[in-house]
Amino acid sequence: MTWCWLARTEERPEGALAAARIRFDGFLAVFPADAPAPPGERKLDARAIDPDGPAALVSLVLVPDDLTIPFDDPAVSGALRASLTAPWPDVLSTLVVGESRFGGALTAVRDGNRSRLDADPFARIFPARILELGPGLLGWTPPPTGPVVQRYGGGEPWPSDRFVESRSGNPSAAGH
Amino acid sequence: MRDDLQPGNRLPDLELRDHAGNERRLSELAGGDPVVLTFYRGWWCPKEQSFFRRLVGFQDEVEVAYTRMVSISVDPPEVQAAFRAGLGARWTFLSDAERRYVHELDLLETTDTLHRPYVPTAFTLFPDLAICGVWNGYWTWGRPSLEELRRDLREITRAIRRDWEVPSA
Repeated sequence: MTWCWLARTEERPEGALAAARIRFDGFLAVFPADAPAPPGERKLDARAIDPDGPAALVSLVLVPDDLTIPFDDPAVSGALRASLTAPWPDVLSTLVVGESRFGGALTAVRDGNRSRLDADPFARIFPARILELGPGLLGWTPPPTGPVVQRYGGGEPWPSDRFVESRSGNPSAAGH
Repeated sequence: MRDDLQPGNRLPDLELRDHAGNERRLSELAGGDPVVLTFYRGWWCPKEQSFFRRLVGFQDEVEVAYTRMVSISVDPPEVQAAFRAGLGARWTFLSDAERRYVHELDLLETTDTLHRPYVPTAFTLFPDLAICGVWNGYWTWGRPSLEELRRDLREITRAIRRDWEVPSA
């Protein structure tokens, strides 16, 4: 699995791959790719998930449901470039809606240093909310090699960083 | 340079810290993509500064072409991070501050007894680290032009992408 559904829920959900409590604001949870799509239908890089992961500070950018923008919008590409230039956080995944829409981004740090989230480049596109997230959801996203800012196939988040042949039968479908 | 570091042979799968201090492996950094790998003397060398400014321009093409870039020197990670930030580079730098591979690869620049750096050397690699092209950049004109890199990356991409020719309807 290269991605999973991300959703905020009021209660700890049944059937989630992992979930963590947001301070004062319910839960952040992820669901398997073959589960029904939750509200918002946002896909997260599965490498970001670790059910045994520690607490984290999260900068969560969510594009309003009725206002998604193309993933290839220059504003998004610029944010991807900026994220490759800046010190890499502990977790970073863009959120994808459908095959090609930008639904936001999740950036997290685990050392409690909120200033590391101040320059979240995705917050230049839409406002970010800072969440204090409990343990049980986020792991570590390895920094991408760079400088690729393209996604590896339709529907995939960035930086999930290689083509997955089994899903499309074609290693570079929607690539090029 | 070691005799077997020639086109058709495979480069060793180096394990080094990146510019942020994370342990990385070259094959993991390659993923399934072609790689431009450059060994460089250090931030202090004006030839490197010139060459890397060209690579920084090149990354605007590479970023949409499913191709990775990796650079290796004996500088510590924090020095590499500063050099990378100063350049505006968006690819991974690997630190061999302990000089673990400089002798194994026979890439020590013997004429610089002060820094004991890598001989500037550039490789184009297939995803399995098989060497496509190699350039000895001890003299500036020995380094690859961007056109030479493009030619190799086209060759590698054509070889590894089954849909190089547009699939028929």
